[in-house]
Amino acid sequence: MLPCLLVVLCLLIYPLASTVMYSFTNKTLIRPSFKTVGLDNYIKILTDPEFIRAFVTTIGWTFCSLLGQIVIGFTGALALNKIQNPITKPFYRICMIIPWAFPSVAIALTWKWMLNGIQGYIPTVLMNLGLTEGMLQFLSDPKLVMPTLVFINIWFGAPMIMVNVYAALQTVPQDQYEAAVIDGATAWQSFLHITVPHIKVVVGLLVVLRTIWVFNNFDIIYMTTAGGPAGLSTTMPIYIYNLGWTSKLVGRASAASILLLIFLILVCLIYFYVIARWEKEEK
Amino acid sequence: MKKGQRTGIIVSNIYLMILSLMAIFPLLWLLVSAFKSSSEILNHPTKILPIHWTLENFHTVLSTLKFTVNIRNSLIIAAATTVIAIIISSLGAYGIVRFFPKLGNAMTKVLVTTYMFPSIMLVIPYAMVMSTLHLTNTRIGLVLVYLSFSVPYAVWMLVGFFKTVPIGIEEAARIDGANKIQVFGQVVLPLVAPGIVSTAIYVFINAWNEYLYSMILMSSSDKTTISVAVKTLEGADILNWGSLMAACAIVVVPSILFFCFIQNKMAGGLSDGAVK
Repeated sequence: MLPCLLVVLCLLIYPLASTVMYSFTNKTLIRPSFKTVGLDNYIKILTDPEFIRAFVTTIGWTFCSLLGQIVIGFTGALALNKIQNPITKPFYRICMIIPWAFPSVAIALTWKWMLNGIQGYIPTVLMNLGLTEGMLQFLSDPKLVMPTLVFINIWFGAPMIMVNVYAALQTVPQDQYEAAVIDGATAWQSFLHITVPHIKVVVGLLVVLRTIWVFNNFDIIYMTTAGGPAGLSTTMPIYIYNLGWTSKLVGRASAASILLLIFLILVCLIYFYVIARWEKEEK
Repeated sequence: MKKGQRTGIIVSNIYLMILSLMAIFPLLWLLVSAFKSSSEILNHPTKILPIHWTLENFHTVLSTLKFTVNIRNSLIIAAATTVIAIIISSLGAYGIVRFFPKLGNAMTKVLVTTYMFPSIMLVIPYAMVMSTLHLTNTRIGLVLVYLSFSVPYAVWMLVGFFKTVPIGIEEAARIDGANKIQVFGQVVLPLVAPGIVSTAIYVFINAWNEYLYSMILMSSSDKTTISVAVKTLEGADILNWGSLMAACAIVVVPSILFFCFIQNKMAGGLSDGAVK
């Protein structure tokens, strides 16, 4: 218990405290000395058009990715729940684990290779089928880059939602469905009044965790496009990385990451409020 | 069986078939590309199976590019993280479940909050701390950083497993004269062993796959971990996509095998009430 608390304190609370502290200073990676500059960093960031753009991009990236992951994950789980076949069912489940187990570097590089505008499999096939004129540049075309990244993220995240929702579906008592059939309920009605109330809380928590994860995700975008072309896929984590490591402005990067954290906490408070109300309804 | 039900099953099968195909296609493509020669990669972009299977790419990656060094680094770092995290977290989780259930609930909330911390935010102070302690570019430094996110998660998973141990068994052991440490080591641990194994695998995979911290804290190429090494290969001149996919295969395959092994436990966590 104690060593555990110690790890959390030393490795999480201390860094948080020092980030808050740096965010009020003009610390850089190069100069060892720094002084307090008050709210200067925050003002500079909030008036930076790049920040606003990165923020909007992040919201879009999170919302679209999550929506896609939930829709596909949820429908997939419902479909899997219908299958009783002892051979195909485990087969589907194993397939669904594969994207989930992909390390981020492999996600990025494999998709880059498949979408590559010179010999990539997907653009070549699309061209050979006559669907597109010439090779599509999925990761460097300004119109295609964000949808492509969102697609990659859905590919990666939907299976996780699916496996977890499927597990939650197993906790719904079967006799309630039988009772509903006897009472003449349609499939849609029993879904709405039996399935949804039972799995709401678990799915809600899952959505909270996924929101945080997608929002904070650095690896996938950094390794596929590094925020480009022309900053179009720069999300908040990449914006912060550029500030801290490319421009070496540690103070300002700290301030931006504190703003990111505050925003996330607000979003999560809303979620937790909703989930707490659902839990009350259950009782 | 009613007719409606049968069509439901057929539709579900088709849908899942499509999803499964999409899910596994990148893996298949990665694996077949790894066995293609560079001329085949350039000249036959849409041919799925290699015309001539070759191990040339693996040879390039492992011996010419000295990838074995990075594999070894990753193994050492991930193993050290796993062992330390499991020792700390199993004691922590047991303490939460058995001795301080009230505090435990509060603490699981704290743990969820730590999950909220953007890794990009934490990397700034970590880089500062590690350079003050002269731990930049050392394995110890990276292990310490990995512990910061694996311990909270491991505790969270383990609390769920420890909760399944009936208190009656422990009381019986106490009556038989076992002390607290014996109860933990000889009664409780064996019961939750499967849970500990899954948690350990999960911690291991996360450390094995990690990219950001390793990229920032490990500056020299002979110290860095496998995922950073793979990414830097992308910029190398002598490299083709085949070799890059061979390098990816080396990272992906262990991760997938381990994941398949623990998948049932993973999905259980959320719905078993480990979070509540």
